[in-house]
Amino acid sequence: MGEPILKIKDLYYDYGNGTAALNGVSVDIYEGEKIAVIGSNGAGKSTFFLNTNGVLKPDQGEISYRGTIINKKNLKELRKNIGIVFQDADNQIIASTVMAEVGFGPMNLKLPKEEVLKRVEEALTYMNILDYRNRPPHYLSGGEKKRVSIADIIAMKSEIIIFDEPTAGLDPLNAQMLEEVLGKLCSEGKTMLISTHDVDFVYRWAERTLVFCQGKIIADGTPLEIFQNEEILKQANLKQPTMMEVYDLLVEKHLLEDTKAYPISTQAFKEMLGNM
Amino acid sequence: MSTIVLKSGHRDGHTHGDEKNYRHHKIGHKHGEGFSIDAYAYASKIRDWNPAFKVSLSWLTLILCIVLNNPYVSIVVIIAMAYLTIIVGGLSIQAYLSILTIPISFIFLSTFTIGIDFSTLPIGQYNLYLGFCYVFTSQAKLKIMFFLILKVFGAISAMEMMTLSTPSFEIISVLQRAHVPKLIAELMNLIYRYIFILMDVNNKMRNSADSRLGYCDIKTSWYTFGKIASNILIVSFKKADDYYNAMEARCYDGDLIFLEEVKKVKIIQITKAAVFIIFLILLWGFTR
Repeated sequence: MGEPILKIKDLYYDYGNGTAALNGVSVDIYEGEKIAVIGSNGAGKSTFFLNTNGVLKPDQGEISYRGTIINKKNLKELRKNIGIVFQDADNQIIASTVMAEVGFGPMNLKLPKEEVLKRVEEALTYMNILDYRNRPPHYLSGGEKKRVSIADIIAMKSEIIIFDEPTAGLDPLNAQMLEEVLGKLCSEGKTMLISTHDVDFVYRWAERTLVFCQGKIIADGTPLEIFQNEEILKQANLKQPTMMEVYDLLVEKHLLEDTKAYPISTQAFKEMLGNM
Repeated sequence: MSTIVLKSGHRDGHTHGDEKNYRHHKIGHKHGEGFSIDAYAYASKIRDWNPAFKVSLSWLTLILCIVLNNPYVSIVVIIAMAYLTIIVGGLSIQAYLSILTIPISFIFLSTFTIGIDFSTLPIGQYNLYLGFCYVFTSQAKLKIMFFLILKVFGAISAMEMMTLSTPSFEIISVLQRAHVPKLIAELMNLIYRYIFILMDVNNKMRNSADSRLGYCDIKTSWYTFGKIASNILIVSFKKADDYYNAMEARCYDGDLIFLEEVKKVKIIQITKAAVFIIFLILLWGFTR
């Protein structure tokens, strides 16, 4: 698999209220992986993200990016290469026009103005919001704001993109748009981490799943492995994806042969049933 | 394909929302006028003029209007600024008049005391006996009052031309270039951005309190008001943390720098503005 792009070792973080938000987290992330991060509210997912980006400083532990251990001096390098799309777009948008907003990151990278303009244009085109360039964020809808917040990170050209509950509060159409964008980013070889509560999404999208529970990673594997492990599901208060439940139900009623070949999508399921 | 459909759907949704902003009630005003001024500024057809040009033109006109102190100049300024805002800028007359009337009661109250006076004796050109004293005035005084009103309206319409065609962040960036302290300019930027969020949060809290009978009588209303105020304070602290995190995540390191679009000033615009200013001064010279 080669060298991990991001190596996190024994991360501890405490918000100062006695309980550890992160309690010894270690994980290696490889280039181009599609990772879903799941776990109940307050399990430490957001804290983990803010730590990997260098916004929060871990009490203990170390992060290395492409072999270099991150310290105070090269923190900016880490932030440049790891972008976070925050859950609430309103918490992220700071400028008064879409263009200035998307340009905020590149401007902070101290790039020449032509380069910033070029990147902004690219990012806006990528997210299909070039027309909104001069709009102020307070006249945009929720879905449009989400696109702006994604364009923010695209303009920074980060290698790793973290999405903190991206589907929260989006209508089905916008959620679909988001999945298309994720697919597009994937095909460009970006490494992605997505936290979500949508197990069906994890099942159909992710290649690897990290399960957080009380500040620890209690499981790390493919979605199939994790969703078959009843103990982990119980511990992390998760439920099985609908597709797996339906498959198991059909097997139980002897309508389907038990080959443990869980279908990944409705389409695959249809083909499987058609072959019988 | 689906993204394209999505986009057009969004755009439609948007114009609809905008229309709601522009559709104006009758002359007069209600809460949230500030919001519509902001919306008008974004919709103005002269928005793509260079902001520094607009701001300086408006300030120069304002200063001339006050310094020259000439009713003809005031009238010309009122007409010219209304022309710029309504005809060139494309704002509806009702909306413009409605915004101009915001300070009207204030203007009348303050100029009234100049125009009229009280006395126990029947003096002055015109007087009115009120039973215990006389209200009196004269043509000269009324003239001063009328000219003063004209002057104030001239000055206001010069300012309105600026605010109704230039979004706040552009005005702030002009100030920044005019060497207003960085701290103040950055604060203005942040306040402008977050005032809308604050309003939004306040609205949500008020609605949720209202749905639970939080405003059923005066006493409860005051109580709810206090609760909401303190709650907003706590929420703001929490949110400030979140915003700071989000800014840091994008490499913020102490300086708020925003990307700006360069809008070139056209020679024809400068020429027209110069002609206008010279005309005002000449007018003053001839009618002095």
